[in-house]
Amino acid sequence: MKSDRSLVGWLAAPAVFYLTIVYALPLTWLLARSMMGPEGFSLVLFEEFLGDPFSWRVIGNTLRIAGMVTILCLLIGYPVAFALARARGVVQVVLLAAIILPLSIGVVVKAFAWQIVLRRDGVVSQFLVGIGVWSEPQRLLFTEIGLVVGAANVFLPFMILPIYSVVKLIDPRLMEAGATLGVSPVSRFFRILFPLTLPGIVSGLAFVFSLAVSMFVIPSLLIGDRFQTLATLTGRSFLLMRNEALGSVTATVLLVLAVAIVLISSLLARRVGRFA
Amino acid sequence: MTHTPHLFGRRSFTATLGLGSLALAAPRVARAQTREIVIGGAASHKPWFETHVQSAFERKYNCRLTFEGTRSLVNLEKMQKNKDRPYVSVVQMDDPVMILAVREGLLEPITAARAPNLARLKPGTVHMDGMWANYLQPWQGIAFNTNVLRTAPQSWTEMFEARFKSRIIVPSLQNTEGLPNLFMMAHLVTGKPMAEAYKDIDAAFAGLRRLKPNLLTAYSQMPQAFSLMEQGEAHMIIGALSSFGMQRRLDGAPVGMVAPREGIFPVPSGIAVVKGGPNQDLAFAYVNELLGAEIQNRIAPPTFALPTNLDAQTPPGMPSGVTVHPIDWAFVAENRTAWVQRWDREMAL
Repeated sequence: MKSDRSLVGWLAAPAVFYLTIVYALPLTWLLARSMMGPEGFSLVLFEEFLGDPFSWRVIGNTLRIAGMVTILCLLIGYPVAFALARARGVVQVVLLAAIILPLSIGVVVKAFAWQIVLRRDGVVSQFLVGIGVWSEPQRLLFTEIGLVVGAANVFLPFMILPIYSVVKLIDPRLMEAGATLGVSPVSRFFRILFPLTLPGIVSGLAFVFSLAVSMFVIPSLLIGDRFQTLATLTGRSFLLMRNEALGSVTATVLLVLAVAIVLISSLLARRVGRFA
Repeated sequence: MTHTPHLFGRRSFTATLGLGSLALAAPRVARAQTREIVIGGAASHKPWFETHVQSAFERKYNCRLTFEGTRSLVNLEKMQKNKDRPYVSVVQMDDPVMILAVREGLLEPITAARAPNLARLKPGTVHMDGMWANYLQPWQGIAFNTNVLRTAPQSWTEMFEARFKSRIIVPSLQNTEGLPNLFMMAHLVTGKPMAEAYKDIDAAFAGLRRLKPNLLTAYSQMPQAFSLMEQGEAHMIIGALSSFGMQRRLDGAPVGMVAPREGIFPVPSGIAVVKGGPNQDLAFAYVNELLGAEIQNRIAPPTFALPTNLDAQTPPGMPSGVTVHPIDWAFVAENRTAWVQRWDREMAL
């Protein structure tokens, strides 16, 4: 029995070896580099970075955009996940294909496509003028709205799929049981269905937020150089300015923020789930 | 009894092995007789290098050229990492990166004795006592959408006009081609001659801030900027590269490229010999050829650039009689990080 267990443990060895080489070691190096001041090991680089009001603006940009993208994905993705779980036969296959196939298209291609859609003479602007929301075409490209909409399109499947995987396991008879006990549809949703989908929501939030907080190509193409996030600042520090110290610090701050937000949301979801 | 030779017998096996080894070794032996140098340049240089330079040089000097096309900073890294045993002999890089290479002692000075064409170059094209020289001068002016603007802009000051609200694109300051705009702004805001004005960076940023309402974006990817302009979302790119803009026009895109009356800027296209690189005599010969009129007459037209050799001809369609403002790259190298930080703060959305 014991030997069986140790044998099973060895199955993880290739993955452990791979992750140690490509993830743990570079991450350790990155963290070490961020704590290497002019006179050896210190936190002086973090003090300098966090002491600059511009850094807080960059952190704010990063969290605000990631938060908006995540919320938009949740608002769109939650009902879609239900539609997908409840659909049957060809409809379900078509819906799944519509959600999964776009993942095979590169982010750069999608960003360029959004560039066309969001132009002043693009479909969004023309539609809003057509229905009378705008009197004349407005600029959407290189604005926060354009960035959030474009990024949500890219990350939406990562919200839908975890929620779908949970929803399809929910027994539909639970809602029927609630109805027989005289619970209103709204109460049935909030007291039965929503708490049961929380694990999927948390997974979706964690996926989308982690991806959105660290996105580099999408902001570079959809909002440009005049809107800095931690990821774009990190990329520029390493690739163009050859400032490894700043790049390591911004990358570490980004990592800490992403991990913290995911952990907090997970704890929050557990607590909400317990009370629901 | 007749003896049938065995197909996989000892003798036939040995003979086959011998012939195989000879066949495998032959190209190496042949290569060993041909000397080779590696050129580290920009990936975009490869087409004209292969078409106009490689075969002519290889024939003339009975050698082999290998071109490694990448970004200037990657070339710099290759030199740094292989400082003790360099394998690249010549580098073609941006001038700001050349300054970094000089600081780290990675370059061998070019002298007229080793590259005689150095003496025939235009003023301002040999830098830091010959550490590197410019073999071409693509230029930066204004690119515009010819479907939108029927008459070409005549002056850099037109970018401030209200009709261009959120229709202007500039290169980001993180891109090398973003820097000349800073100097033009200083010149326009102060009204002083360029040589006096370019160090007034406060005036330069005042000009950039004034431009903010007209800015659609500041690009870091040039193809994206041209795509936006060709689609009509932007009307002008201020500080556009001739090598890209004129090629797009040639491809049929609605792009015009103009040299405004205040002048244009040369794009840094430097060439240098790597210190301690293989076959230094060939490296200097290669540099000499690229600084010569013959090669420059061949490569200037397809790259939409101005030649730097005094005996070379300006290709048709290139601006003539317009002031070309030289750039003080040492000043740039000293201050660029501070300027980029200031750009982030003052030009943010």
